[in-house]
Amino acid sequence: MDLSQYAELFLAESREHLSACNQLLLEWERRPAAPEPVGGIFRAVHTVKGMAATMGYARVADLAHRMENLLDHLRRGGQPPADDIIQLLFRATDALEKAVDLAVAGRERDADVAGVAADLDRAMARLAPDKPREEHEVVAAPPPDVGGGGRLIQVVLRPEAQIKGGRAMLIIRKAQSLGAVQGIAPSPAAFEAEDFDGRFAFRLDSARTVAEIEAAVRSVGDVERVTTSGGEGDDERMAPAEGGAAGGAGRSRHIRVDLRRLDSLMDLIGELVTTRGRLNDLASERKDPAIDDVAIQVSRLSADLQAEIIQARMTPVWQVFDRFPRLVRDVARQLDKQVAFKVEGKEIELDRAILDELGDPLVHLLRNAVDHGIEAPAERKKRGKKPEGEIVLSAVRERSSVAISITDDGRGIDRAQVLAKALREGLVEPHTESLSDDQLLRVLARPGFSTATQVTNVSGRGVGIDVAMTKIRALGGSIEIRTQPGKGTSFVLRLPVTLAIVRALIAAVGTERYALPLTYVAETAEFGAIAMTTMEGREAMVLHDRVVPLVHLRNLLSVVGDAPAPRRPVIVLEMGERRTGVVVDGMLGQQEIVVKGFEAPQGTLPVFSGATIMGDGVPALILDAAGLL
Amino acid sequence: MSHSVLVCDDAIFMRTMISDILAQAGFEIVGEAETGSQAVEKYRQLKPDLVTMDIVMPDMGGIDAVREIVKNDPDAKILMCSAMGQQALVVEAIQAGAKDFVVKPFQPSRVLEAVQRVLG
Repeated sequence: MDLSQYAELFLAESREHLSACNQLLLEWERRPAAPEPVGGIFRAVHTVKGMAATMGYARVADLAHRMENLLDHLRRGGQPPADDIIQLLFRATDALEKAVDLAVAGRERDADVAGVAADLDRAMARLAPDKPREEHEVVAAPPPDVGGGGRLIQVVLRPEAQIKGGRAMLIIRKAQSLGAVQGIAPSPAAFEAEDFDGRFAFRLDSARTVAEIEAAVRSVGDVERVTTSGGEGDDERMAPAEGGAAGGAGRSRHIRVDLRRLDSLMDLIGELVTTRGRLNDLASERKDPAIDDVAIQVSRLSADLQAEIIQARMTPVWQVFDRFPRLVRDVARQLDKQVAFKVEGKEIELDRAILDELGDPLVHLLRNAVDHGIEAPAERKKRGKKPEGEIVLSAVRERSSVAISITDDGRGIDRAQVLAKALREGLVEPHTESLSDDQLLRVLARPGFSTATQVTNVSGRGVGIDVAMTKIRALGGSIEIRTQPGKGTSFVLRLPVTLAIVRALIAAVGTERYALPLTYVAETAEFGAIAMTTMEGREAMVLHDRVVPLVHLRNLLSVVGDAPAPRRPVIVLEMGERRTGVVVDGMLGQQEIVVKGFEAPQGTLPVFSGATIMGDGVPALILDAAGLL
Repeated sequence: MSHSVLVCDDAIFMRTMISDILAQAGFEIVGEAETGSQAVEKYRQLKPDLVTMDIVMPDMGGIDAVREIVKNDPDAKILMCSAMGQQALVVEAIQAGAKDFVVKPFQPSRVLEAVQRVLG
């Protein structure tokens, strides 16, 4: 049987169970007296064990088995576990997770489980010194001399038979269907022991022939030898035959699909959308109603198809968030801090491709929050705060984006310190007196910038916010920061709900076309017809009583050629609180565009997030709203 | 007519594998259950010829599910799926009315043998 086809499924499901393990361990650590977590952990580990054994991953199965032994003992004992046991279980869960990953990658031999396995065994030996260990001497064969009427049946099961007690019990049941059974030796209670050696005897009072009885016993399977002695008789009857029929309803309604398949479906639909654009262009040239009809129908169908596939790609954020409680706990422990971690909006959905990329930036920001944000308990007390800090990770669905925020109630970022360092390193204009939130973020996101006075191994290595920011920007998202001294810091990540296909405004500048994803387009206005002003020395317009700074795409992109019309469109971009007006030469309407990855050549302005192919086959660049803001 | 099977296991992995083994041997998988109580409910609805039953499941375990099913249908043909080291639980399941058992890791041939024995 080819098992490799199940490897992905094994991996995905094992990870779910291990993630559940972590959740439950955290819960148990918080409330050691609660009886529920251990049952759940036991089941999760047990399931992983069964699956791993089936896949032939011996080390994974073995480690899980040892964990399971310990958990089973704890589960039955009902005593709150000591802290070191919980820590050991955390460690074992980590080791198991690593072993699972290695096993699936075909490198199970690299999984180093010996240390933690030995610790599990030691813990087990300490908790239950009298409990029999895995191997021990075999109990003597049962006395064949059992009393009672009928024939004496002696059975020896095959040495390789698994769960011999279960097989013995089945044979007893089978015998009971033939007649009265008594004098079972050893007693059925012995069947339940792991060390039952597969030899047993009983008396059967039955009218069946010896051959029939022995055949019946053998039919149960795993029988090495059966001998019958004493008694007499012969006779009729056969076991009732089975009839087979049943309804066909009630199939499960979920299937698992390889992610790559969804990706290639998405690519294909991307091509279809592009082709559809070309068809629409052709149809409008031909002015043939029949072609128009078909084009409209194709448009509708492909839009439906696209909506379906995008929906199929949506994944709730908990799939990534679920490992963070453990992370925050570990970091807090390492730094001797007390942190209550809350997660909100777990069920909010994002495109799988975005969610997959989100893990690292979030890990970084969470580590930062614990390390730099939350103060040590003593310091918090001094400031009149609860000794336990709070970090909230929340996801909220906005218009066509998802905002993920990480908020701590710690010390906030020291603007003066950041400013001093930024001035020293020439990152801001000399004589700058204060940093706005935007400026602060820009300084913090400089590669290598760190205000941590000491480099810990948690954060403060000076890599991080810049990496996080680059990643989020590459996904077409943005980061915002809000911080108040003594009150805490909040990072808000805004991400498009889906990556691959977005609706965009197509704008013309010079001879080129540019796409602006609608996600961040708030409205449009007309340059030359609207009140102008300045803001911090920059050209700005007044829109709905708000001052909105302007960017002339023409200037930004150094477009030369004919002067643009005096009245031309302004596209107002909005991200959180911030707005910017982008002045373009003309607007060519809205269109769905297929986003293609884009490796910006050296020296390119950081205002493009990707490229797309227009309906006529000509490429156009996609403007990055975050870059323009 | 092919025999109908209800597959009960909390792991999709296990359900998939058992379903594949049985489907390839010509059985019809008519339902799946993730918990003991689902198994009881689906058995009542589907009246399958055969049930494969995991022992350790959330909500209601496999042994309790066997008891419930056998209470309503003493002829129910239930095959327990056990892990190594569950001797006592297997014995208990058989006393509760399970007809046979297979031990993980599954070998398709052993699963099919057990199924044949259970179906008679």
